[in-house]
Amino acid sequence: MKAKSRLLSAPYTVWMTIFIVLPMLLVAWFAFTDRAGHFTLENILSVGQYSNVFLRSIWLGAVATFISLVMGYPLAYIISKMSAKRQSVMVMLVMLPMWMNFLLRTYAWMTLLEDNGLINAALRALGFNGIHMINTAGAVVLGMVYNYIPYMILPLYSVLTKIDQSVIEAAEDLGANSRQVFFKVVVPMSMPGIISGVTMVFVPAVSTFIISKMLGGGANLLIGDLIDMQFLGSAYNPNLGSAISLVLMVIILICMGIMNQFDDGEPGEGGVLL
Amino acid sequence: MNNTILSLQNIAVSYGGEQVLGGFHLDIQDGEFVTLLGPSGCGKTTVLRTIGGFIQPDAGDVFFYGKNITALPPHKREVNTIFQKYALFPHLNVYDNIAFGMRIKGKNEREIKATVHEMLSMVNLTGYAHRGISQLSGGQQQRVAIARALANEPKVLLLDEPLGALDLKLRKDMQVELKKIQQQTGITFVFVTHDQEEALSMSDTVVVMDGGDIQQIGTPTDIYNEPKNAFVADFIGESNILDGLMLEDYSVRFAGHTFQCLDKGFGKNTPVDVVIRPEDIDVVQADSTHITGEVTAVTFKGVHYEIIVDVAGFKWMIQSTDFRAVGDRIGLSLTPDDIHVMAKSEYSGRFGDYSTFSDEMDEDMQAAGEEEGKADEG
Repeated sequence: MKAKSRLLSAPYTVWMTIFIVLPMLLVAWFAFTDRAGHFTLENILSVGQYSNVFLRSIWLGAVATFISLVMGYPLAYIISKMSAKRQSVMVMLVMLPMWMNFLLRTYAWMTLLEDNGLINAALRALGFNGIHMINTAGAVVLGMVYNYIPYMILPLYSVLTKIDQSVIEAAEDLGANSRQVFFKVVVPMSMPGIISGVTMVFVPAVSTFIISKMLGGGANLLIGDLIDMQFLGSAYNPNLGSAISLVLMVIILICMGIMNQFDDGEPGEGGVLL
Repeated sequence: MNNTILSLQNIAVSYGGEQVLGGFHLDIQDGEFVTLLGPSGCGKTTVLRTIGGFIQPDAGDVFFYGKNITALPPHKREVNTIFQKYALFPHLNVYDNIAFGMRIKGKNEREIKATVHEMLSMVNLTGYAHRGISQLSGGQQQRVAIARALANEPKVLLLDEPLGALDLKLRKDMQVELKKIQQQTGITFVFVTHDQEEALSMSDTVVVMDGGDIQQIGTPTDIYNEPKNAFVADFIGESNILDGLMLEDYSVRFAGHTFQCLDKGFGKNTPVDVVIRPEDIDVVQADSTHITGEVTAVTFKGVHYEIIVDVAGFKWMIQSTDFRAVGDRIGLSLTPDDIHVMAKSEYSGRFGDYSTFSDEMDEDMQAAGEEEGKADEG
């Protein structure tokens, strides 16, 4: 039995070793060496000078995650209360944008938000002044929310549909009005979904580079852009790029560790945890 | 009706166009242990959920101490429910589950603590206050559910097949315990079950339901000894139900003979159903009585043998502590007290002899699960 399961898992083990463990080790290797391949701490130490970029990334990522949660939770809750047939239609609608190319979606926002874009053209046609939207932090957050909100809604929806209706009834039976039912029963019981949704939005939002590049302009440089520049840009320096990646990974791990403290440590149902 | 706590009047409920209850009436007395008994789909849970406020009836009114509470939402009703699957809050521990209702009401924590510990000792779970719900067995979860409901000092406790998920032995223990709690607290219990034995052993009043209608209301002894129609006779315990003719008061003809009985008031020459309980039949020598037949099956049930006897094509069930072998010719002896006469009803003819297993028996088998499996080998 044991030998059989080991045999079955062998392809996955090999795959994970080559494509996950090995690259990670390489990143660590690059981070701690200079161009000549000698051990150095210089890369790690010089990450400090980009602390403003780190702070901006984490701040914008956190804002986008918070907005996604506040907007996504009610929608997930409403969907979970619908009839089974309408639920599947709604879930499909939530996922629909994800079928379109990420780059294309972000380009679309660019043309909407530009100073001479659709929104401003419409505003002017109505006699208002145009608003400068493109290349602002707000545009970056908008791009993040738009692109990643399905990853918030889906785990929330899956946890919310699994809440037993009789538990809700039990709370009503014990005297809780609908507000109390929601905050004392529904929200705590959907904690695993909240955690996995927050994780799945926050992590890609913090490390994105396309969104900030296209909607944020040069002024809203994020960690992703910084890393991008070290590998593909003018400032070619894979060692520094690896060091930044490593630090980012550690920061994300710490953030997730803090997040998981909100859970009672009981493995939740339906939630995808780190 | 001196002390009616709950009164359902003219209740109609339908799901998706299908009527479950129509013109339903029921009065419940303060401090009573009332059981709604019936097969699945008879509407008993619908009645309970209507009382709890989880179902808004299409028509009719619910009165609580004479006050109309039909439009009142569940959280404003002074009743509490114990749900079939306990419905405990998985994110809270035992203590917080029991404290939930009191915290909603804004009681102070010291008072809550005292009540929680009192409730825990009542359901024999002292020391479990800080366990997680998932660490508890089914029986323990059930006790927590009882404690959580009683902590709110409800006037009426609604119990929706609360023992259905427990194994046989635990179920028996909980029956005794629930009855004890009901007597201690004096709270009105409205208990829903499809288990007739449970209903008989726990209740003050049994309400037998089928097809959304009340078939009979009475004490357990009344229901068992004086079933009103063939459905009740068949559903409660085992019954041999025969076609009979009431010749006159105290005289009934069935199985080809005329018997003396204790029933009267049916008029002369009226077709009736005759019920004879298997345990009331005495087995005697074949030549010493009117009814004789051949044993076709014998099943050992522990306390007694269940003997199926073919009397001119009608298969009787007899429960006897004496063994009879298949193929034996035996006589069945009846005294007037053993014979119960019922008026014909829509159920007449649907239940009768023991030539086949009835649906009800299948249902019982499933409900009792593995325990009953042993009895099958006869």
